[in-house]
Amino acid sequence: MPKLTIDGKSIEVEKGTTLLAAAQQLGVYIPRYCYHPKLSISGNCRMCMVEVEKAPKLLTACSTEAAEGMIVSTTSDKVKAARRDVLEFLLINHPLDCPICDQAGECGLQDYYMDYSLAPSRFRMADKVRREKRRPVGPHLVLDKERCILCTRCVRFCSEVTKTSELEVMERADHSYIGLKEGKALDNGYSLNIADICPVGAFTSRDFRFKSRVWFLKKVPTVCLGCATGCLIEAHHNENIIYRLVPRPNPDTNTWLCDHGRLTYKSVQAGDRLSKGVIKNGLIDLEPALREVASRIDEARTSVAILGSPWLSIEDNAALARLAKDGVKTGSYCFDFNSEQGIKDGILINKDSAPNTSGVKAVGAAHGGIKLAELSRRITAGEIKLVLTEARAAGLIKQALKSAGTRLIVFAANRGEIPPDTYATLPYASYFETPGTFINYQGLRRRTEPPVKAPEGVKPLWAVVNKLAAYSGDSLRLESAEDALEGIELK
Amino acid sequence: MISVKKVNNKPLNLLERIYLREIARGIAVTTRHFFTNLLNPKGMPTIRYPEQTRPLPGNANLRTRHRLKMRSDGSPKCVACFMCQTACPAYCIHIEAAEYTENTVEKYPAVFDIDLSRCVMCGMCVEACPEDAIAMDTREIPGGALTREEMIMTKESLLRNLPDGSAHAQSGNARSGYDLTTPSEEEPSRKGAANRLANEYLKSRGEE
Repeated sequence: MPKLTIDGKSIEVEKGTTLLAAAQQLGVYIPRYCYHPKLSISGNCRMCMVEVEKAPKLLTACSTEAAEGMIVSTTSDKVKAARRDVLEFLLINHPLDCPICDQAGECGLQDYYMDYSLAPSRFRMADKVRREKRRPVGPHLVLDKERCILCTRCVRFCSEVTKTSELEVMERADHSYIGLKEGKALDNGYSLNIADICPVGAFTSRDFRFKSRVWFLKKVPTVCLGCATGCLIEAHHNENIIYRLVPRPNPDTNTWLCDHGRLTYKSVQAGDRLSKGVIKNGLIDLEPALREVASRIDEARTSVAILGSPWLSIEDNAALARLAKDGVKTGSYCFDFNSEQGIKDGILINKDSAPNTSGVKAVGAAHGGIKLAELSRRITAGEIKLVLTEARAAGLIKQALKSAGTRLIVFAANRGEIPPDTYATLPYASYFETPGTFINYQGLRRRTEPPVKAPEGVKPLWAVVNKLAAYSGDSLRLESAEDALEGIELK
Repeated sequence: MISVKKVNNKPLNLLERIYLREIARGIAVTTRHFFTNLLNPKGMPTIRYPEQTRPLPGNANLRTRHRLKMRSDGSPKCVACFMCQTACPAYCIHIEAAEYTENTVEKYPAVFDIDLSRCVMCGMCVEACPEDAIAMDTREIPGGALTREEMIMTKESLLRNLPDGSAHAQSGNARSGYDLTTPSEEEPSRKGAANRLANEYLKSRGEE
């Protein structure tokens, strides 16, 4: 266990720890461009140079192992001069198009220039090396070769994380640039991470391009509901519009975030977002829609079937269970879903595309209910006159519904989700608009925080269920989402 | 130093406290002005603003209605960097950015609105602009309007030419007191890359 001193503070670290990691443990920040904790060490940007006593030259902190008795300085004049000079080199050919660059505001060059350089440029604008700008590479990214500082984080990401190796440093020395290998497109399902890890504005997201400046964005920590992995994410939003989702790196689940997950926010702002009820194909105000659904349920009563959904939160599933047990008082309700879970591609994407299969099990354990196969059998046998469920869950019993011609009433957030031949649809607030609890494939509890407000009049599903029961003359007494959780044991 | 002025608040005397005489005096003053203006309307000090305006003193350094400067091809110099919107203390600027597909300058404002009913004419937007694309040198003082909508200036109205027809950057600058004519080869522009790109674009069109 080597013991060393950094800026006068001594620390004992594991063997093999780099100076940069040791400094981080001490709370000493060393600037870096090419270093990324989840990628291999490259040591090419030279930004993390530190002075080590008895070493003839400055050393790169990211690639130097800590050794016994090292005395390291990160604040000496030599280090300061080195940082300033490295920045000057990096900025020689930088186009300085910050006004049109999406990275401005979270750019490594801007930040470090303000922190470590502040030197005026000694080079003429006219002498800068010109390169290709705004080249679309793949469906999600734009590459600006002029802004690139050749830190190779993107190259290492593609070869080490996705193992697809689309990117490479082409040519040599002053001519080098990041390029796509011939015949390849940057579309590996994780490509938007490159826009995140790029410390400058060389790779920017095509989706986020020119939508907003980053300093306007407010950040809400929430959870990705794209699959059962349940990655922790941060929603960046402003004035009730979500602009992008970025990962919140954590040791349990994720460092990265897949492209599919990053674009899940789109449905909230899509043109087909429901703010009214739908009866057959016609839009109808919420109140009459609720009344219509309530009277259809009243007609059928004990031959109503209620199916939970692994796409809904535990609270909303529990509210549906309460509606079945205490409101409609039917025996045919089901909170039993079994899908194979586990990471499909070795990175993040789960075999189970629903985010809450494990959570629904907890609801089933507390409230009972029948198996999904039994429900399908009852529907096919014609014992069920009306099925109430969530739009995507209705797909699981599609065959049975089709053969029996049972009346289907669904909850849906978007019109595109509604299955064909649905009798009525009620809108509900999605989990970007209301909090909800989920359990991911590891059994970890995940709670969403809403960054935006639901369209006017649209309530969370548990509140819609509560109202539905009230219209039929039963009270579930659900005042809040927590009321629905009563009796459910969460780890 | 704070200057102190002593105010002599004399108590009112009896005649003043009855008010009747003072009211009569006040009415007399009003009536005198009424008849003076009725018989000699040209001597009235007030004008019918905003239909009528007063000529501004020629050498005054004023912040007047905004305008967006244009490149010589008529496109706005603005690159929608949102600096003015960020700097604006009154939240009166609304920009929506869009992308040129062919021009070398990538970004331009598809929407650029200034809500003059909120604007406090502080000039922060002009200070903040890295492209020198917004100016307050039209020497027009924004007038009143009957609806809020009329007080919102759109991109089209902001790109309107100056009254004397000098729409382009060069002529506008002479007035505002500093010179931003084309940078010479020895002294490259420090106004940011988009400006450089614009210059190059213009050069490629042989217009510079």
